[in-house]
Amino acid sequence: MTLRRAIITAIAWIGLTCAASAQSLVFPTLTGRVVDEAGLLEQADRAALTETLAALEAQTTDQVIVVTLKSLQGRTIEDYGFQLGRHWQIGQKDKNNGALLIVAPAEHAVRIEVGYGLEGDLTDAVSKFIIENAILPHFKAGDFPDGIKRGVDDIVEVLTGDAGGLKRAAQKKAAADRTADAPAWPMIILILGGIFLIIYCATRGGGFCRGLSQILLVMLLSGRGSRGGNGDGPTWSGGGGSFGGGGASGRW
Amino acid sequence: MSRSFTKFWSAARIALVFPLLTLFLTGCGVNNIPTYQELAKAKWSDVLNQYQRRSDLIPNLVETVKGIAQQERTVFEAVTEARARATSVQVNADTITDPETFKKFQEAQAQLSGALGRLLAVSENYPDLKSSQNFLTLQSQLEGTENRIAVARHDYIEAVRLYNTELSTFPGRIWAAILYRSNKPMEEFTVDDSVKVAPQVKFN
Repeated sequence: MTLRRAIITAIAWIGLTCAASAQSLVFPTLTGRVVDEAGLLEQADRAALTETLAALEAQTTDQVIVVTLKSLQGRTIEDYGFQLGRHWQIGQKDKNNGALLIVAPAEHAVRIEVGYGLEGDLTDAVSKFIIENAILPHFKAGDFPDGIKRGVDDIVEVLTGDAGGLKRAAQKKAAADRTADAPAWPMIILILGGIFLIIYCATRGGGFCRGLSQILLVMLLSGRGSRGGNGDGPTWSGGGGSFGGGGASGRW
Repeated sequence: MSRSFTKFWSAARIALVFPLLTLFLTGCGVNNIPTYQELAKAKWSDVLNQYQRRSDLIPNLVETVKGIAQQERTVFEAVTEARARATSVQVNADTITDPETFKKFQEAQAQLSGALGRLLAVSENYPDLKSSQNFLTLQSQLEGTENRIAVARHDYIEAVRLYNTELSTFPGRIWAAILYRSNKPMEEFTVDDSVKVAPQVKFN
């Protein structure tokens, strides 16, 4: 009995430890469309930018975020940028249509980080052009709010342009053709069977049966726990988009 | 309890065991090794894709620089040669379990990175080049591609780490011994692309 219990505990422990993973970088909390960690913007600027970006998402579903950082934690802005975008999951899940305007005043670095789905519109060359022509002249003069506003205006203009919208519509169709969800019913039957067996074994089964039911119980519980999403209330959040290093950077 | 009910029970229990066994085995990661293997392969093709993209950009870049800075012949030749050498390394999905080819591929690409770095450094000396819209576009595309390569390598390394760890740790190790005997660990990038051959500056 003790040996069996030890084995069961060991297996359950393995199942539970599988979910753990390390996070080396620290990211600011996604509090809205403008995350001003470095404190470069006034309240009015933040409100205006948020409004512009919300209107963009309403029109195109593209999610664009402005973020100012106190520190890049020793990374390059390119390295930090795509990981931040992935961490926040900016952009819709099936389209990956997110972009970040990242400003790191301490490192004198600015970057437009572009999600996979927007790389065709907000290309590296276009991003570079925006940085060089709209953003950097203001940053060099020490005027961060104006540089950010001009940059956001240009990004929005590119993303709402007709050519971009058409291109994305074509991509969206292709993506929709590809994705088809697997049916969930085999899993449901298995889980129901498992619950049934747990109840059956727990009430009347022998030693082996009871051991099996305990393992199953732990598996079911741990499986449920790890799938918990971020559906936490009415706060705005990223849509599940991902990033692959597209975009451009500038320094001043 | 009637006899027919007992009989029904023994039949039902057998019918339940198979799906439950599947659930049990899936929970214990019997599918992890092939899943991680496919993931790592997908990440690898992404790495190759990005390197290919860089390779495709180079002829245009060389032509553009050539038009303005003809005297830097050695630099163009180094880039063209490094590109030819990099494309001559035959790579495919099996390369990741072949340490020798993997190393060759890695070194050839690192050399190309070095040569390209020199080309861009030299370009800094030509104001005409720096103000050419064509050159600036190509330069930003090249920078973007280098960054995508870095991200693709990062993702590949993560995927390989997951796969290799699964192969060599419990309980994956048991599944590997029982079911996936032919699965070999995959190669990781060892030479960092940023630690490329140091550019040599000569003042003649």
